[in-house]
Parts: sequence; structure tokens; C-alpha cells
Amino acid sequence: MDSQAHYATLTDVFHDVFDDDTIVVTPELTASDVDEWDSLRHIRLVAAIEKKYRLSFSAAEIARLKNVGQFVSLIEAKSAR
Amino acid sequence: MLEARALSLCELTEGQSVVIELSIDDAQMRQFAELSGDFNPLHTDDAFARGKGFKGRVVYGALLVAKVSQLIGMRLPGKNSVWASLTWEFLEPLYVDQAVQLEAVVSSISASTGLVELKLTLRRDGKKLSKGRAEVLVVD
Repeated sequence: MDSQAHYATLTDVFHDVFDDDTIVVTPELTASDVDEWDSLRHIRLVAAIEKKYRLSFSAAEIARLKNVGQFVSLIEAKSAR
Repeated sequence: MLEARALSLCELTEGQSVVIELSIDDAQMRQFAELSGDFNPLHTDDAFARGKGFKGRVVYGALLVAKVSQLIGMRLPGKNSVWASLTWEFLEPLYVDQAVQLEAVVSSISASTGLVELKLTLRRDGKKLSKGRAEVLVVD
């Protein structure tokens, strides 16, 4: 799966988790760009991404992420293992 | 006062389950009517319920959900958890004083977030009466 496909997949996940089909998922997207991106929603988002990709992340890996682009890089790195 | 279990995230595994046996008696039905303000005769009047095609008073659905709360808060995972979501489907009615089993099975665990998903099933004599899913956040 290339990066473009990851963004398409993540767009579906974001729309579902935030119940908002207007969210545009870009590498620069952060929690401050989405009104309802609070701590519980963040947990749901990470859990939904783990389920979608059948991957497990550590709390430290998640804490280091600064934006969606870094999340995609983490997904790619984990998927390649 | 009953003591809640306190399972931590590392003590949970996918497939782990808990079953509680329960039945809803007349006193609980009356208490729930007072608490909820729902005096729908379907739940309070046997004759009315039979007139609607049921075998008697139907147990309040939300009273069953209260038992889910008991299961999560007291047994799986217990006091280190907070309920995050619930979907629940009523398939068949439950009647007063019928013995049923409420089962929760851990269906997924997110170690990075502490979010645990439980698959829930309510059965009477092996027959599925209700089913659902709950998300629980485990805070160690």
C-alpha cells in the first residue's frame, strides 16, 4: 500500500471516528485542526487505526507522533516488519 | 459493600470471559420504574403485556444494561475502567423472574490506548436474548 492509499484509508477512519465527512486528511493534519479531537477521540482514533491495519502500537510510539504524516510513516514501518 | 475486581491491562487477554447469573424480580422492576419514571404497563401490568402478545411483563431493557454496568464495573475489567461506549440489541423479551446468563468476552485490546472491546451476550437456556458490544477504557 502506498502513501496515497494510506491517506485514503485514514480518511475513512477519520470520517467514521469523528462522524465528520468534511475532514481532509493531510500529512500536516494535527489535533488542533479538528474541533472534536479530544483525548477520548484520540484513543478511539488510534484504536480504530490499529484495528483497520491489524497493527499494535506502543504508547511511546503514539506519544511521539506530531501529525498524521508521522502516523503514516509509523504505519508503513510497522507494516514492513 | 461489594468489592470490585481491579484487572489491569496486562492481565487481560483476547477471549477472556466472565459470566454472571441473574434474574430480575418484581422488587427490582418496581425500583426501576420509580428510578426511571417509566411506568409503561408493558413492564408493570401482566394483563396488559399479555394483551400485546407477550407472556407477561417484559423486563426493562435499560435494567439489563444496568447489569452490563455491574459486569464491567465489578468483574471485567472492574474498578480500573471507565465505560466508553455501548451498542445493544434486543432480540427476544426477557420476563420477570427468568434466570439468564450475561457473558462478556474480551474481543480486542489496544495496548497503546488502553481501550478494550467486550462482546456481550445475554442468554436464557442457551438462547440469545440480547447482544451488544462495549468499549471500556482501562486506566491502570
